[in-house]
Amino acid sequence: MTASSPGTALETPVSAAPGVKLHALLVEDNALDAALVLRALFKDGFDVTADVVEDEVAFIQALRARPPEVVLADYNLPNWKGMDALKTLRSEGLDIPMILVSGTLGDVTAVECIKQGATDYVLKDGLARLPEVVRRALREKNERGLRHQMEEDLARKVDELARSNSDLEQFAYVASHDLQEPLRMVTAYTQLLGERYRGRLDESADKYIGYASEGAQRMQILIQDLLAFSRIGRNSATSMSVDCNAVMAEVLLGLAPAILESGATVTLGELPAVWADRTQIAQLFQNLIANAIKFRGDRRPLIAMQAEKADQHSLFSVSDNGIGIAPEYAQNIFVVFQRLHARTEYPGNGIGLAICKKIVERYGGRIWVESQAGSGSTFKFTLPSPGPDGKQEARP
Amino acid sequence: MKEPPDILMVDDNPADVALVREALAGTKRRSEIRSVGDGVEAMACLDRRGNFTNVKRPDLVILDLNLPKRDGLAVLAAMKAGPELRRIPVVIFSTSTLRKDVVRSYEMGANCYVNKPGNLTEFFAAVKSIEEFWFGFVNMPPQGE
Repeated sequence: MTASSPGTALETPVSAAPGVKLHALLVEDNALDAALVLRALFKDGFDVTADVVEDEVAFIQALRARPPEVVLADYNLPNWKGMDALKTLRSEGLDIPMILVSGTLGDVTAVECIKQGATDYVLKDGLARLPEVVRRALREKNERGLRHQMEEDLARKVDELARSNSDLEQFAYVASHDLQEPLRMVTAYTQLLGERYRGRLDESADKYIGYASEGAQRMQILIQDLLAFSRIGRNSATSMSVDCNAVMAEVLLGLAPAILESGATVTLGELPAVWADRTQIAQLFQNLIANAIKFRGDRRPLIAMQAEKADQHSLFSVSDNGIGIAPEYAQNIFVVFQRLHARTEYPGNGIGLAICKKIVERYGGRIWVESQAGSGSTFKFTLPSPGPDGKQEARP
Repeated sequence: MKEPPDILMVDDNPADVALVREALAGTKRRSEIRSVGDGVEAMACLDRRGNFTNVKRPDLVILDLNLPKRDGLAVLAAMKAGPELRRIPVVIFSTSTLRKDVVRSYEMGANCYVNKPGNLTEFFAAVKSIEEFWFGFVNMPPQGE
């Protein structure tokens, strides 16, 4: 036990295993009482150092000279009040637990002190309780610090993520937009070469020009898809109450040639209204139905769309009897430019479902697939419902 | 027979100018295409200043938006403010699909807005359609009165 001796700061105040260092600041006018308090802590395994003060000036000096892990304050002092120490701690911007140590402290007063921010109180004739009270105060402070740290970390990460996301969006947009211009030259002139000089060079030349031309054209489509994809997040879409039945009617009209050609049957349940941008909902429905037709295998496509209306988010499902998706690919298919089939088997760039996911998530919904290879797929997704008055109250 | 149409193409990309020339090379209208590469030169040509004192006013202007020195919208604004230039039809021919570019162009008096197609076949078709529409169907304003 060393009072007022230099010591290193307590590093792990979580538990008071024997020898755990503790620097306390005692607000006490009675030297004997101070000694008793320190002895109680020492006996319980604290390697305790302490400054002892009895007025505000000395208190502030001690705080600044060596901040304690804990303040132990007598309630009644001749020149100062123990509870004033708490105000001083606050005005110094310090989060240090303060425990009242007093000869007499009525229950009412004690409760009032704790309400004002004292961590706990211990009566001088019950000092055996002090080490445990100190230990708990330190543990709570430590947890408070950790929680605060975690909250700050989380907020910073969310912020970083949002920034890097928007940087990425910006990059994708600028890159694809600026790439289009030179690529257009490549496409146009390889095409021109191909047409103008067909049969005038040799056979290989025609073939090579053809490859270059096809590659450039495919890249053009990829870039346009990427632009469309990045636009979903950029454009300030206007959300409104959207009648999904009307949207589906339009989508089916647009897909009529594909439906006729494949002999598909599309059955529709009654669809609820959703709170979203109409064009994006149409794009979502169109991509899902078009996929159901496209990945049909040998069977005549049977497609069904249904929904369960709910107050917050309605659950939609689009099921088909097509080629299905092996469960291990259930996540991949929503990633941009991910394809499961050769281009010759099923043409496309692998952007459709990525767009669907982006649209759904934009409105706080989820999209997933339930499927087995060879036995059809059911795509499910949730979309926010309009409020009871057909409007959305301040929902993001 | 009518005189061949005079078209002024304002575009800083020689590849696009060459494509337009290619597109119109075989048509029956035998349009003459003069090209300038920036907005300042475009205005000098239209105002017949500097190197362009002996140049005829064009019948039609094909105008890109993204131009060095003075951009397409500034050229359009200057043309539509000029008593003699304002009657010359202006076709905006740009890659930009941005809504604001389209809207601004029409607001400022562009006569039509055509996007440069990425595909050669479509590019040729677009350019030939522009020529055929303006010089085959449209009753054009008389020159220089």
